[in-house]
Amino acid sequence: MTDTMKMQLDGQEVSFTEGETVLEVARREGTFVPTLCWDERLDPYGSCRLCVVEVEGRRIPASSCTLEAEEGMVVRTGSDKLRKMQSTLVEMVLSENPGDECPRCRDIGTCEVHELAEQFDVGRERFLGAISNASKEDSNPFLLRDYDRCISCFRCVRICAEVEGDYAITMTGRGWNKGIATAFGGPLMGSECTLCGQCIYTCPTGALADKKMVGQGSIPGKVEETRSICPYCGTGCSINLHARDGKMIGVTPALDGPVNEGALCVKGQFGFDFVNSNDRLTMPLVRKEGQLTPVSWDEALDYTAQRFKSIRAEHGPKAFYAIASGRAPGEGAYMLQKFTRAVMNSNQVDNCSRA
Amino acid sequence: MKSEVEIQDPVTTGILDRLMTQPAPFLEVLHAIQDHHGYLPENALKQVADRFKIPISELYGTVTFYHFFQLEPKPIPDIRICENSTCCLHDLEAISSEVVDADLGVAHSGQVEKISCPGRCDTPVPILVGEKFFHGARAGAVAEATAAEMLLPPETGLEECLFRDIRDGVGTLDGALAHGAWQGPAMAASDPQQVIAQLKESGLTGRGGAGFPTGVKWEAVKNESRGPKYIICNADESEVGCFKDRVLMAHSPHAMLEGMACAGLVTGAEIGIVYLRWEYPEILESLQIAIDEATRAGMLGEDACGTGIPFHILIRRGAGAYICGEETSLLNSLEGKHPFPREKPPFPTTHGLFDLPTVVNNVETFCAVPAILEKGAAWFRDLGLGENAGTRVFSVSGDITRPGNYEVPVGTSLRELLDTHAGGTPDGKAIQGVTMAGISGGFVGAADLDVALDPASLTELGAMLGAGGIIVHDESRCMIQAARESMHFLAQESCGKCFPCRIGTVRVTELLDELIDHSTGNPVIRSHPLEELADLEEVLGETSACGLGLAAPFITKTMKKYWPDVLQDYIEGRRPERQGERDAK
Repeated sequence: MTDTMKMQLDGQEVSFTEGETVLEVARREGTFVPTLCWDERLDPYGSCRLCVVEVEGRRIPASSCTLEAEEGMVVRTGSDKLRKMQSTLVEMVLSENPGDECPRCRDIGTCEVHELAEQFDVGRERFLGAISNASKEDSNPFLLRDYDRCISCFRCVRICAEVEGDYAITMTGRGWNKGIATAFGGPLMGSECTLCGQCIYTCPTGALADKKMVGQGSIPGKVEETRSICPYCGTGCSINLHARDGKMIGVTPALDGPVNEGALCVKGQFGFDFVNSNDRLTMPLVRKEGQLTPVSWDEALDYTAQRFKSIRAEHGPKAFYAIASGRAPGEGAYMLQKFTRAVMNSNQVDNCSRA
Repeated sequence: MKSEVEIQDPVTTGILDRLMTQPAPFLEVLHAIQDHHGYLPENALKQVADRFKIPISELYGTVTFYHFFQLEPKPIPDIRICENSTCCLHDLEAISSEVVDADLGVAHSGQVEKISCPGRCDTPVPILVGEKFFHGARAGAVAEATAAEMLLPPETGLEECLFRDIRDGVGTLDGALAHGAWQGPAMAASDPQQVIAQLKESGLTGRGGAGFPTGVKWEAVKNESRGPKYIICNADESEVGCFKDRVLMAHSPHAMLEGMACAGLVTGAEIGIVYLRWEYPEILESLQIAIDEATRAGMLGEDACGTGIPFHILIRRGAGAYICGEETSLLNSLEGKHPFPREKPPFPTTHGLFDLPTVVNNVETFCAVPAILEKGAAWFRDLGLGENAGTRVFSVSGDITRPGNYEVPVGTSLRELLDTHAGGTPDGKAIQGVTMAGISGGFVGAADLDVALDPASLTELGAMLGAGGIIVHDESRCMIQAARESMHFLAQESCGKCFPCRIGTVRVTELLDELIDHSTGNPVIRSHPLEELADLEEVLGETSACGLGLAAPFITKTMKKYWPDVLQDYIEGRRPERQGERDAK
């Protein structure tokens, strides 16, 4: 362990450990430092410049996200001058997006850009001119891509590369014409994209969003969030279920989930249609004279036990092969293999998540 | 991550096999493929991605950053024409429409594409077809534009360092040797500390604009224990109004190569790379000849200048991007990364090319080294006026009788440079103002033409000396329009990484456009344009991530300082008396 070192933050002496950035120190101390290009899961990038701080001995402010704390460093975060420049930067960002209602704010709750606009009490009034205007159609079923609202923070590109390792998207062009695209500009579905949805979750604007969640804004009622665990596999990713009127409308990953730390896969992120599906099984069915017929659990279990027995008697234990569902918990999987071996006398056991 | 290459392109395979063993081969591989196919085919790029172990998406994004990499075949080339400040003063709009039908003697598509300054401001307006430049196009006689000629610097009668032999045929190795070239590397090898001491004593500072002491930089790299180290010559001269490096490389290539070799032998680097801007194809050819000559004669190679120590120099071509003149963008560009500037610190002296200790110096800086070693630090220092050390080359263009490069003592008055050496304005009109540092150093107005050309004096005026490009505007010009042209260039060339620069340079350009259009009866959207401008200047100048954005406010701040009345006319919707030529857009 390295020794704890000390620096000055807004006149207070604070401790830090080697390698910590000034932004990390400041936020740990509860100091308000705005950011837009920052995500704790990503390498510091230093592009939005909102996190600038004054450092004694430096002529101009430094971006605190890329600035490593140093012993004896004297840092000021919230001077009037800094607040004024941060406020101008937020206005500049607002000016490059269209002025209509942000779908993410309307339907999902909020976006970082508009949260900051509220905090700095600024609107889309000054610095008006061209908007980024790089709108792009994409036929994928899950990810809304509305690059008119893109602010070129490249968090989507970076999370795809740094966290997911997929490198499905990249930044193209330069300057004002900077855009986000797959290699050679093709559709997402033809790229390395796994539709994991990490890009929409890190996006600080309405440029990327969950297609299924957007558009539900007209439905009345409060959106309720419930912390849960993804039911899809044994990994146990933490998720937040969004529901309105008792109906699920979407899933977001929980940043503090101990196993997923904000990550989800395409199934956990988008594959929840079954919850409200008309085709969903709600009771046991047994095929009688060619027709699936609802029966009681007792009848269904009796029928199944009967068939297992007769199959083993007629064809031997090797006629039996069990595959445990990846969605079953460990205890369930254990019971299935025990049943297969001890009751059915077969060694043919597998699990769908083994592949 | 691995892309599937369906059909291997044998040409690309051959290029990769040939170049992958060379240092920093990325740009050269792409250029070789484009030179062969006329563009960068998709399957070739996939092969490149595989071999460089770069995700194909990232490679695609990087390729799209540059002006001159093409992803589509284009059998007949378009016409490319400079759209920046100096050319705006020379009937650009008329020439752009005339050139469509002009017979230049080469096939072209008739499509005109505006490009950023290709460094031909001494012979405006340059026209580029394929890789062939035509110089000096005039309205009404576009077809008379001639094949590019590298003009020698006009004589000044002053004692010179960089130009002292340049008119005496030092372009060839024999010519250079006849004037005492290639003596420095032996000194550098035998007593590197002495060379560092000489450079420090001479007061030589970086001539790319930042002005860092050269001796200190070399010493820092020499003291690094990690290696291999690299010497990089920044020949990506891309600032509007700057064309000094082009002329130095054209006529005095051995001074630059020798300077690089000295740096290598002092610091322990065995590889030197010239990062040459794509827009200098003639230099690519002549410089390669000079390198080959020097290598054959043993000045470069495994036993450089008989020192027993290897030093090799190779050229890497850029692909059209002003930001790659920023040293850390340049390094990313060489490495095949997205050419955004890096966070500093760390600096290239410790974490340069491939994160290894690297000297990055400008062409002019390297060119000055052999003369300093030959004639002594005191000699160079004393060339400067007053407290200033040495000489500097200024590229002068615009409304001027003798456009060209002038080497004058640091501290010479701007007026002397313009009137005595460059002959003043061609038609006797008064000078209204000039740009500095090319364009990014802002303006100096008529009232201050006696300013001494040294960094401190320019800073005092609220401008910046920078890389030594000066564009003269006579009294008939509109300086608000001139500011607009400068800002438009920065907006075009902003890399797009940091928010203040990406948005700010565009907004300032739009704001100036709006004011200028106002005088023609168009409504103004902004109720408080000057307040908005001041706020934009503040975030640009204080929060931008690199020098491009940080320098941008020089332009508008000096514009406001020198021409407040013209600005006020525009704000109030009046057509100012000095409307200037509105042919710039």
